[in-house]
Amino acid sequence: MSRALATRAGVRRPGLRLAAGLALAALAAVAPAGLRGESVPLASWLVWLAALAAGAASFLRAGSTLPQLARRVAWLLPFVLVLALPAALIAPAGRRAPAAAALVVRALAASLVAASTAFRLGPLGLVRGVRALGAPERLAEVLEAALVGLAAMLDRARAMLRAREARRTGHGAWALVLREPVATLSGFGRFGGALLLRTLERAEAQQRARLARGADLT
Amino acid sequence: MHIPDGFLSAPVAAATWAGGAASIAWALRVEKRDADPAPAPTLGALAAFVFAGQLVNLPVLPGTSGHLVGGTLAAALVGPWRGLLVMATVLAVQSLMFQDGGVTAFGANLLALGGAGAVCGFAVAALVARLVPGVRGLVAGPVIGAFAGTLCGAAFIALALAASGLYPARAVLPVMLSFHVPIALVEAALTGTVLATVVRWRPDIVRGLQSGRSGRAPALGVLVLALAVAGFVAPRASSLPDALTSVAARLGFAGAERAAWPAPWPGYTLPWLGDGHASTAVAGLVGTLAAATLAWALTRKLGAPGDGPRA
Repeated sequence: MSRALATRAGVRRPGLRLAAGLALAALAAVAPAGLRGESVPLASWLVWLAALAAGAASFLRAGSTLPQLARRVAWLLPFVLVLALPAALIAPAGRRAPAAAALVVRALAASLVAASTAFRLGPLGLVRGVRALGAPERLAEVLEAALVGLAAMLDRARAMLRAREARRTGHGAWALVLREPVATLSGFGRFGGALLLRTLERAEAQQRARLARGADLT
Repeated sequence: MHIPDGFLSAPVAAATWAGGAASIAWALRVEKRDADPAPAPTLGALAAFVFAGQLVNLPVLPGTSGHLVGGTLAAALVGPWRGLLVMATVLAVQSLMFQDGGVTAFGANLLALGGAGAVCGFAVAALVARLVPGVRGLVAGPVIGAFAGTLCGAAFIALALAASGLYPARAVLPVMLSFHVPIALVEAALTGTVLATVVRWRPDIVRGLQSGRSGRAPALGVLVLALAVAGFVAPRASSLPDALTSVAARLGFAGAERAAWPAPWPGYTLPWLGDGHASTAVAGLVGTLAAATLAWALTRKLGAPGDGPRA
């Protein structure tokens, strides 16, 4: 997580890189995949190949390794298969395997190129890119605040879960909801509520501190 | 469930992106007009919380887990439109940095998770919070709102996938809705338990719902529930004739019926959809929206209660 959130402030022209990455992802995502029974155009395969190659190259250039890249693709695969396989089953007979393959490759290519763009830019580069593309300043501010607070928030949540697990030795952090619905859900409620209160009270304290220094927070 | 890249057709992706962008623009406009705008760090911290909350999976059934979605929860805390901005931030981070949801599907995911949860769910929550007084309403409202919002989002995702040509709507809509009923129950329970803890210690934090108890939100909640009944319950209603039609048939004057006005869709049947559930559902949705629009226009024309001349 901390590696994924590491800043790459040195990336030049973040707006251009973000726009190019998003454009290639969009192109790959909407290239025809032969869902209506027609054959998949060669141009689609070429676009997906280019997107996969560009995504992989971008990941590797940003310091990722091949096993990390494989893990990223493997993580996405179950979600893609859940959507692709039923769609392939209702495709015309004889076109099911190509339809499934095209859908899976299309989804992976578009996702990989979008993720590699964000990975290359890093969180702060992403915010700079969003600003350079002319997104509303309010959105960019909220995005920046969310990304800045994300790593600390995840560390806090992890520490709270660890503490909870240490106190509840019976069956790890949570029981099966169906087995112990009241205990599990109320346990999550106390955990989530405490995390939310800590988060918002910390944001309020930061706001008070910045106001005291004369900052305009609106 | 987030739609990944590659599963929406270009027209559906473009239309949902336009809808998502319009909803963000509206949210920014509403926020700009607000006399007491929320600081960006607070919204950012809430977005980080929702993101972290979505990472904590609870085992629901063997091999299946569920997690908080958080749209209705965020809206209860900071209001529906700020909640939408929070959800837009969460979805953008998930999509770009963690491959959870596609870039081209961002609009659809925003409308399904943010729009349905933060706006529709909030409207239902505000209605319930108005009916249930005190802090109980602050918890009961979001519980029912989160359930309704999750099902609205599931229906929207099903329709977006069907419109993209992946599956027939008649097949995917019931499957998505029935799969999402337990997910919606978990979302409702998690939203309620988190809010119960927050309300116990800091009820003042639940600002969105406290201000949403008055104003337009409860009326919007009635509209959301009416649309849900028209779209999902009415098509499965009994097809037997009602009392008047039955008596008319028995006494032999059923054939005397003459339409004084040529209705475009007689019998709630749309010509291009045939005589089925889909036709009744679309006709019901259009009719409900038309009745709501007419009522809104009339109340604007007549003025709200208490708007009369004052001394």
